[in-house]
Amino acid sequence: MPILRLLLAPLCIAVFAAALSSAASAKDTGLVFVSNEKTNNLIVIDPKTNRVVKDLRTSRRPRDMHFNSDHTKLYVACGDDDVIDIIDVAKLEVVGKLSTGSSPETFGIDEARRRIYVSNEEGSSLSVVDLDQNIIVQEIPTGAEPEGVFISEDGHFVYVTSEVGDLIHLIDADSGNVVQDVVVGTRPRRFAATPDHKELWVSAELSGEVYIIDREKFTVEGKIEFLPPGMRKTDVTPVDLRITRDGKTAYVTLGHAAHVAVVDVPTRKIQGYILVGKRSWGLGMSRDEKTLYVANGFGDDVTVIDLRTRKATVSIPVGRIPWGVVIDD
Amino acid sequence: MIEFCTRRSRRTVGKAKRVHPERSTVGTRRLSSGQPKAGPGGFAHPTVCALLGLLGLAAPAFAQTAPTSPAPPRQHVSIGYVEIEGDPRYEPVRAYERLILKTRDHPFVGAQIGLDEAAALVRVLNTEFALERITVKSPAEVAPAVIQALEGRGVHFFLIDAPAEALKPLAAATKGRDTLLFNVSASDDGLRRELCAREFVHVIPSLAMRMDALMQYLTSRKWRDILVFEGPLPADAETVRAFTRSAQKFGARIVANQRFKAGTDPRERELNNPALLSAIRGNYDVVFVADEEFDFVRQVPYHTVLPRPVVGSIDLEPVAWHWTWEHNGAPQVNSRFDKKSGGRRMDSADWAAWVAAKMVVQATLRTRSAEFAKQRDFILGDAGFDGDKGLPVSVRPWDHQVRQAVLLAAPYMVVASAPVEGFLHRINELDTLGDDEPETPCHLNK
Repeated sequence: MPILRLLLAPLCIAVFAAALSSAASAKDTGLVFVSNEKTNNLIVIDPKTNRVVKDLRTSRRPRDMHFNSDHTKLYVACGDDDVIDIIDVAKLEVVGKLSTGSSPETFGIDEARRRIYVSNEEGSSLSVVDLDQNIIVQEIPTGAEPEGVFISEDGHFVYVTSEVGDLIHLIDADSGNVVQDVVVGTRPRRFAATPDHKELWVSAELSGEVYIIDREKFTVEGKIEFLPPGMRKTDVTPVDLRITRDGKTAYVTLGHAAHVAVVDVPTRKIQGYILVGKRSWGLGMSRDEKTLYVANGFGDDVTVIDLRTRKATVSIPVGRIPWGVVIDD
Repeated sequence: MIEFCTRRSRRTVGKAKRVHPERSTVGTRRLSSGQPKAGPGGFAHPTVCALLGLLGLAAPAFAQTAPTSPAPPRQHVSIGYVEIEGDPRYEPVRAYERLILKTRDHPFVGAQIGLDEAAALVRVLNTEFALERITVKSPAEVAPAVIQALEGRGVHFFLIDAPAEALKPLAAATKGRDTLLFNVSASDDGLRRELCAREFVHVIPSLAMRMDALMQYLTSRKWRDILVFEGPLPADAETVRAFTRSAQKFGARIVANQRFKAGTDPRERELNNPALLSAIRGNYDVVFVADEEFDFVRQVPYHTVLPRPVVGSIDLEPVAWHWTWEHNGAPQVNSRFDKKSGGRRMDSADWAAWVAAKMVVQATLRTRSAEFAKQRDFILGDAGFDGDKGLPVSVRPWDHQVRQAVLLAAPYMVVASAPVEGFLHRINELDTLGDDEPETPCHLNK
């Protein structure tokens, strides 16, 4: 019922306008942002009430989102307009745009160097965008359909997946050269790093695995396979993943298998599966690590999970084909 | 985009004995100077293309990434692409001379995008992939051209873009040889059943698979009473046979099978008028039309006596690929195809050629080898490949058919993909489509 939802959205805005204006002036609003590929909008949710407080129009096909370090701005990659929209988090409106290459999907921000690294799904390249000048300063060739981008903590290296090439590229951020490649499973998507900086976890969507890469040696040192009860191996299509700050627990969305896997990071053992919606992809975790938000691409909703009980508590309708979730906290 | 090392030459075999080396990146540029003369066998040495391939190695972005120790020699994997000049299957479908209903083309671009995607792998694998286009004059020349490339130039992988009549002598000629022949455009069930050749991999779905897919969808909607219109061509009879078999398999009923004859002759109105043909005693849920010519079928929708959907050769067609498929990464593939082909919409044979090229690349990547036997064993093993249709595609060990989802395409939308939810299988749901192991007379795995 997307039409009904769109009609309801302005009503919600009116109802929550007061709450919003007070929240907007403060930092860490706690608001949850969901990007919706097909309706070209961000749905903003108040986590206290789980209600939609804003329907924010963006450029076409918004996907990956990142805040700047003080959370005053939210950057949103919009694939069909070849731009990254810049959103003022206090005002909840688009205040600027950065040009990218063809069909930007995911990106990383290096604020120290004032750079954005954005993978261009259709251009088979990683664009390096200068944040201040708003120009592409470098175009780094990658394998076909680059997706996940991870910037090393010191900013010296950028890791990029190539979905079609089944590769992870290690890129020297200073020279823009691919230093090394490592072959992983089929259709590698996203990254999560362990807090000790030793491991990089990579989801391989079609082979249904998470690959664990030793960052020092840049080799595959292990992999995890998933199989929720009652599911077939071929349903398992992992995409997004998060590791908790204590480095103990990882959460992995399993796509068509409609579950989130909970993994014990040190032993790499699967502790359990949490039922979510259809084609669960994007993940967002609250700063207190008590709540997980899962974007269900084929359900047009977001599942909220209480991480203490590891149970889904509520599903919130959003736009069409929700892609990712970020939280301003 | 780094330059990708390919050797793409078009060879013309047979009477003409001409060679047109060409290199295609985005468009196609023919090299007019230094065009080598064909040798006695009708072939020229592929020096031009090899040279062009080498040019591709100097990708500047990676120039500094070369290891300091001397690099091992680069390996080569060649894929032959064999097609027939003037193949009637690619002639435009016309209503009149100047009214073109469907334009069609050889699926060569499908194979090209499959190799383009491997561009970044060239340095990882230290392997150069080459695609060699071999154009022959008639179906009878397909087998000799393959043997010549196999023996003369050590090409082991071939994409065969030819009708069934060419594949039979090809199977005989290559029996027991070190070759893998990817059938990308012939969907005849007989190739998977009676012919049953070990050297083939049938990437395009069989007719049986497509009919099963359609039938799964119809029965899932409880449209079980079906009126059939059968055209005059042998291919139409073949289609109706496969459809009838699917109806038995999935519990649907063919309430009448009406043979039609296109035309306006009032004396033959019982044969050429869709209203009269559909005015049968009793009810039906849907009309299935088998019309290879794509002529009569155009006037069936909206002309039936009862208001019923029309499926088969129009309106709802079971296909391997459709330009509107928007899941599983398909938009990116369609977009790459669109760019490379200059605006053509990717179709089923293009998909098959794309997947065949990907299979060779994946075999090289996963075995870390350019050795044919290892690559073949990988492809024919239980490896899954990403066909951008959801469930991974793989080769059935019994008849070497590639198991895959089949899309049920309306003109502007993929209505469903089969296997349709609820059709279960003890091992792999994709095997609910087409000949499953207990059903086939072909047992290459035994």
